Amino acid sequence: MSQSGVSLSGDCVSKFNELKLNKKIKYIIYKLTDDYKEIVIEEASEDGDWEAFREKLVSATQKNKAGKVGKGPRYAVYDFSYELASGEGTRSKITFIAWSPDDAGIQPKMIYASSKDALKRALNGLAAEFQANDEDDIEYQSVLAKVSKGLA
Amino acid sequence: MASQALNSSTQPTDVYGGDEVSAIILDPGYSSIRAGFAGEDAPKSFAPSDYGVTTEGTFLFGDDAIHDPNANLEIRNPMGKDGTVEDWDIATQLWEHAITSRLTNFKQADPRKNGLNDDLSDAVLEMETDGDKPLEEHPLLMTETAWNSTKNREKSIEVAMESWGCPAFWLARNSVLAAFGAGKATAMVIDVGASTASVVCVHDGLILKKSVQKSPLAGNWVSQQIRILFEKAEPKVNLVPHFMVAGKTAVDSGAPAQATVRNFKIPPTASFRALEEERIITEFKESVVQVWNGANGHLYQEISQGGYKNFDSLRSQPGRTYEMPDGSNQMWGAERYTVAEGMFVASNTNEQNAGPTLIDMIKASFNATDMDIRPHLLANVVVTGATTLMNGFVDRLNSEMTTMYPGVKVKIQAAGLTAERRFGSWMGGSVLGSLGTFHQMWISKAEYEEHGASIVEKRCK
Ligand SMILES: Nc1ncnc2c1ncn2[C@@H]1O[C@H](COP(=O)(O)OP(=O)(O)OP(=O)(O)O)[C@@H](O)[C@H]1O
Ligand SMILES: [Mg+2]
Repeated sequence: MSQSGVSLSGDCVSKFNELKLNKKIKYIIYKLTDDYKEIVIEEASEDGDWEAFREKLVSATQKNKAGKVGKGPRYAVYDFSYELASGEGTRSKITFIAWSPDDAGIQPKMIYASSKDALKRALNGLAAEFQANDEDDIEYQSVLAKVSKGLA
Repeated sequence: MASQALNSSTQPTDVYGGDEVSAIILDPGYSSIRAGFAGEDAPKSFAPSDYGVTTEGTFLFGDDAIHDPNANLEIRNPMGKDGTVEDWDIATQLWEHAITSRLTNFKQADPRKNGLNDDLSDAVLEMETDGDKPLEEHPLLMTETAWNSTKNREKSIEVAMESWGCPAFWLARNSVLAAFGAGKATAMVIDVGASTASVVCVHDGLILKKSVQKSPLAGNWVSQQIRILFEKAEPKVNLVPHFMVAGKTAVDSGAPAQATVRNFKIPPTASFRALEEERIITEFKESVVQVWNGANGHLYQEISQGGYKNFDSLRSQPGRTYEMPDGSNQMWGAERYTVAEGMFVASNTNEQNAGPTLIDMIKASFNATDMDIRPHLLANVVVTGATTLMNGFVDRLNSEMTTMYPGVKVKIQAAGLTAERRFGSWMGGSVLGSLGTFHQMWISKAEYEEHGASIVEKRCK
């Protein structure tokens, strides 16, 4: 369980395992339900286009308690591949992203941050992880540098 | 300085998901106590931690009671130098007052025992049956510092359960709440309050014990530097608090005050005077004090011809005028940069070695963490506490940190809204305590009764 008491829906982990083992799914975006009780899958996609993925995070929304829709945080897992600059081939790292835009409300930010450990600890086989709080943080180049530790 | 109650823009709201509880969030600090209902945007109660003691030994709590110059009050504070509780008897009464006086729909404890100074006759009539405790219907989420002792943690749950009758309790680290409120489970949290400045690294929602750094170079220390500045000014600045001034005439800058000073049959105590002086000092901090931006090194960077490169260049800059309650006023130029400099660089003009600087603490805290999380910490620095509202504070911090860690991404997150910076931990607690799912986290009264106070160590990490 997380520090907020929020729990995971059943398929959060099985879908992740599918991503890990079948190598077809490129990314999974997770969200909290509107009643903030459970983490669920919002989308699992086989499309490896980073820009399309990034756009989905940027435009994500979440209702606050009063029912008002604002910017929404998300969790995501992305099977990130890159070429080593040394020419030694391709690497792939399953990367966990905690997306929490600075201009989201304090309520959704608080709930996502305090519930993150529930999801992260349930996913075995993550190779990289980062928090992102603005659009620059999820620019392809900046993610590449973070995930490859500068070796791409 | 606690001054007035805050008006929350929202009504007490139902807890999300329709649960019936309305938990109370209590965030006590050295200078003030923030208390309010979970789910609200701001704490309804914002009360001073200072309290008054009459000559008969009665305790007075709250801004409405402690600022009376005729009451002959001794002013004290139950918090110790590091912002944790020293006097539990008083802290219990003081916090209870902060909660019950401002949060409505409340039974108060027996007014003969709770130390409140309400009109007794009325209160006694309305009293509920004996044995009622003030928070029997309200779970309590309390905040604490990262260095709170085990003894203090156990005492907190005891007070909540035994003295106040809370049905459930939770203790949360204020640095973790501030990080969560900024949307971060991993962060370096820099909190500068009244008694203490601290740097604490948080990883996946847990404080890293080895990374906890603290120092007395915080708001109270800056206040002390301002007193020294007034003392050394030419001409010397008299800190005459409002209550002493009966009338005043406008005077030119730097001219002696033309004011009539009040006479008191019994002169107010030194501690009362200090309390009232502190209000002016806080105002001076807000409107005059400036933190040097650090662009060309620190303020007292020496140059070969003698003198200080940056400080001397500021002398030609326009200053800011500040008027004292007695009407005397002066222009503060380069001097307004001096009082906070020692928080960043061990200073050669202010008291030396008063404690580690922010820079010392950031280094030590950072070096105590594992290599693989370090980049995440620097990219997620969260700044909180009211002393960080000093003009230029965040810019200076940013400049120091980018110099310290060249080539690494440093990103400081400091809420633009004043309220979030002052009440960041309270607000984080408010969201958490209002979550429907959080009921699984609370330590219930039954659990407390079964396991005793030590359960808090096991459950609240
Ligand atoms: N606008 C401001 N600019 C500068 N300093 C301020 C401002 N407002 C308040 N302060 C100072 O901030 C301090 C209070 O900060 P804060 O409320 O974070 O402390 P606290 O939590 O009560 O204390 P502690 O953290 O030491 O237990 C006081 O020293 C006060 O003078
Ligand atoms: Mg504080």
